[in-house]
Amino acid sequence: MTNWQQHEEQGMAAIESAASSEALEDVRVGLLGRKSELKLALREVRERETGALLNGIRTRLERRLAERERSLASAEIERRLREEVIDVTLPGEELLLGHLHPITQVRRTVEDAFLGLGYEVRDDREVETVEYNFDKLAFLPTHPARSPRDTFFFDEHRVLRTETSPSQIHALEQRSPPIYMVSIGRVYRRDAITATRYPIFHQFEGLAVDRGITLADLKGTLLHVMRALYGPERRVRFRTHFFPFTEPSIEPDVSCGICGGSGCRTCKFSGWIEMGGAGMVDPEVLSNVGLDPAEWGGFAFGCGLERTAQLRHDIPDIRALWEGDLRVLRQF
Amino acid sequence: MRVPVSWLADYVSIEMPLEELTSRLSVSSAEIEGTERIGLPAAPENEALLRVGRVLEVSPHPNADRVRLTRVDVGEAEPRSIVCGARNFETGATVAVALPGAVLADGLRLERRAVRGELSDGMILAEDELGLGSDHGGIMLLQAAEPGTPLSELLTLSDEVLLVEATGNRADLQSIYGLAREIATLFELPLAPIAADVLPAAEPTRQLVISIDDLVGCPRYIGRLFEGVSVGPSPHWLRYRLHAAGVRPISNVVDVTNYVMLALGSPLHAFDFATLHGGRIVVRRAARGEKLTTLDGSARELLADDLVIADGEQAIALAGIMGGAETEIADRTAAVLLEAANFEPTTIFASSERHRLRTEASNRWEKGIDPHLARLAAGLATRLLLELAGGRWSAQGDVHGALPERPVVRFRPERADALLGLETAPERQYKILEALGFERREGDVLVPTWRAHDVRREIDVIEEVARFRLDDVPFTLPVRREMYGTLTRDQLLRRRVEDALVGLGFAEVYTPSLRPDEETSWRLPDPISVELTALRTSLLPSLVEAARRNLDAGARGIALFEIARVYLPGGELPEERPRLAAIAQGGFLHIKGAVESLHAYLKAEPSFERGRHPLLHPGKTAHTAAGVLGELHPTQLDGRWGVFELDLGDLFALVTEPVVYHDVISYPAVREDLALVVDETVAAGDLAALAREAAGEELREIKVFDVYRGDQVGPGRKSVAFALVFQSAERTLTEEEAQALREKVVAAAAKRFGATLRSA
Repeated sequence: MTNWQQHEEQGMAAIESAASSEALEDVRVGLLGRKSELKLALREVRERETGALLNGIRTRLERRLAERERSLASAEIERRLREEVIDVTLPGEELLLGHLHPITQVRRTVEDAFLGLGYEVRDDREVETVEYNFDKLAFLPTHPARSPRDTFFFDEHRVLRTETSPSQIHALEQRSPPIYMVSIGRVYRRDAITATRYPIFHQFEGLAVDRGITLADLKGTLLHVMRALYGPERRVRFRTHFFPFTEPSIEPDVSCGICGGSGCRTCKFSGWIEMGGAGMVDPEVLSNVGLDPAEWGGFAFGCGLERTAQLRHDIPDIRALWEGDLRVLRQF
Repeated sequence: MRVPVSWLADYVSIEMPLEELTSRLSVSSAEIEGTERIGLPAAPENEALLRVGRVLEVSPHPNADRVRLTRVDVGEAEPRSIVCGARNFETGATVAVALPGAVLADGLRLERRAVRGELSDGMILAEDELGLGSDHGGIMLLQAAEPGTPLSELLTLSDEVLLVEATGNRADLQSIYGLAREIATLFELPLAPIAADVLPAAEPTRQLVISIDDLVGCPRYIGRLFEGVSVGPSPHWLRYRLHAAGVRPISNVVDVTNYVMLALGSPLHAFDFATLHGGRIVVRRAARGEKLTTLDGSARELLADDLVIADGEQAIALAGIMGGAETEIADRTAAVLLEAANFEPTTIFASSERHRLRTEASNRWEKGIDPHLARLAAGLATRLLLELAGGRWSAQGDVHGALPERPVVRFRPERADALLGLETAPERQYKILEALGFERREGDVLVPTWRAHDVRREIDVIEEVARFRLDDVPFTLPVRREMYGTLTRDQLLRRRVEDALVGLGFAEVYTPSLRPDEETSWRLPDPISVELTALRTSLLPSLVEAARRNLDAGARGIALFEIARVYLPGGELPEERPRLAAIAQGGFLHIKGAVESLHAYLKAEPSFERGRHPLLHPGKTAHTAAGVLGELHPTQLDGRWGVFELDLGDLFALVTEPVVYHDVISYPAVREDLALVVDETVAAGDLAALAREAAGEELREIKVFDVYRGDQVGPGRKSVAFALVFQSAERTLTEEEAQALREKVVAAAAKRFGATLRSA
């Protein structure tokens, strides 16, 4: 006859001494498997007392096995975690990541700033007629931009647009005011390629035509846009200027971000950085498109995207934006 | 323009700090691009150490031929011994002397030192040592003055020069007096008048023979004849002022014309009267084929549209641009004909363009100069000529048509307030306008003649007020009742395209829209370089170049894209189409994967069929509904490269919006593989399309996962293996139903392409 008490003690000892999940499984099969002594005896048993004894042993063995299994499993997890310690400063796997060009990033910032003010975004043709590029914008016949030394002419009637301003005329001809729009696109000037000039560049140009528009509205609008582009601390000032299609004309300056306005090399020690051109839409431009200047007024302004990108990112040479060099592009 | 502050101070008191002057002028009047200090560095000791000296004695140096010994009275008990290399003076000369310890223009401190064994106790100065000019031909000879007098009482020893960039509309700011007027207005200071009519001689009665054939091109011509003139160098103050303003001193007569141009903005010219045929002036258009050699030595063929100054026989000057070489003022010139004329802007502009000749004079005439100013300029030049070159004023002439009146312009101060969004008391507005030379008259203002070109309308007068109020304009936004802002569909999709490509690992580039080699009618007749000649009709060549540059720079994982326009020959203007192009290392299937992913991101269904393109591998080129893709032709670039170029308009036409939801969750999908054996010539894409057609909507997905060629399928044949997913949105498909769909696909493929099922 089996000594069940001894059998249980030996079983318990075997469970405790199992060193791995696999060994424990062997022990379990030996103790509680279908062909184990205990299972066979349980199948044979007829007496209530013996049955209770054997069931008690089985329950206790099962409980101990489960406990041992948990502790072995957690020990194994612990060991695996210990073994799998790595140098977390090793580089990650290289996933392909593309880059938006800084000009596009500036373009989106400008678009978003103006969308927030309720403007529409547009772009018009780059090959323009002299009529739209100059005449309707009230350029005097002697304006230097009309010279083939400053402007790319295909023939005497057709040019590569020198600014995005023809968009003002297209917009005003296509629809009635109020108009709030910003046009963004490529423009062309006959400049030799240098660190600060490139004969092809991008401009954004805004136009508001409505009743009761003031110079103060232009100032507030440009402040918003400059802060969107350069940060909330920036200040804006106006300087008088001249453009054929605005009167009064001004040039907006934004306070220098490098020195905060106290003067440094970037701002040529003035504390201010030129941002482009602006002004109140000249009554002649409004008349040219059939609007009554006594009723309607407006403002317009334009800035270069390359210049903006250069200032935002401290890029000294404009050519870096046009050469498609991945060493440059991957920084953005 | 270079504007010396000391010159400005002739007309307006300059007591404000320089920085305040420049920053406020930049806001109200003209951009001050910077300031430049010229002359001596700031050194308080210079005041006592730079003096007038009188040369008492000149003797040879015992040990050197090139220098001489002098004894110079500098107002001390004993004369000083000074060694000097210049030869242009003798005993009795009044000179400028620096004593040891003085700091000169080069920033160095003068020391007492021996020159070849002889002590030099100071230095006799040339212009350049004082920083007042570039002349080192000899020492400066001063007008007689008491020895020991501080030099600062005779000469401007240091100065600030404002670098002024006036805008094209402000002809009046092309002059020092014009800028002084702005300063007087800005700082509420008095402006000194130009004493041009205070002449040292009575006006002669003898009339010069002047005729103007073209009063439009030349509204006014004042000629004045001076006889018995001595041409020679100008005095130091004049040489200094020209030098500071960036004009090279030449001779007293020429310097006076330049000085007056700088001071007043109305250019003048001087002719050697003896060289004029018939002693007369004719202003006319050039005769066809007429020739003129200008002062720059260039022989020019004139056109009938060129306005010229002629004598009795021939052209002697290109009017308003440059004088002729034959009539140039020379040392021997004794009779000077001074021209103070007025020329019309477009005439001068057109000639200056044609002859590619821009001068200080033409730059001013192009902006529109007040014809009234000619008389003031003639007056100031007359006074200076008589003072500096001697002689007598012997004849004159002033020919003109109707001179412009002062324009009368309506002006309402409340309109200025409304436009600026800022209130300015009417009295303050009028005060600004009056300081600028405007005159108040009822509800109007009279515009000064020197502003008649750029102030014609009420808005122009308002700008005059606004210029001086810019800093006070508040920040507001327009009051809105209509219009809202939104991107258009194309603009939104463009952003999606950009984002998709960035997500796929492409870096965005911008490349020039002008190219060297394009076959297009849109070529610039006069490009700035061969590289930028013609408007491009494709983005691909630019991208290939960008990829090549990156390859040469050693870049890895090159993948670039650009969104830009192409310019297709259209009608009167080209058809400008937005395109997307990309290039990436890797073969056809790699770039095709990018094109497919892009379509998937846009919810557009791509289609591909075999195509051709000159830049691409003839066997690895496909057209889509929006453009072309393929592997770059191996002659283009080392390695394998995939490229595509898609028309954004055509691409966006494929985009389905909004996305319609398909139920893919409620009922399970049945996955099946299917291998069809077909002829080599049958495209996998055509098989897939046929399968979709045959099985209908319940074929949710079909993908090629293997293509096999070999013994098992025989020569000229291939086995294309597809993974199919059948799914219904309405019920669970049974095995039998899925099998039936599969059979439809097999049957259709067998019928259309002779496909057989590949046995396992």
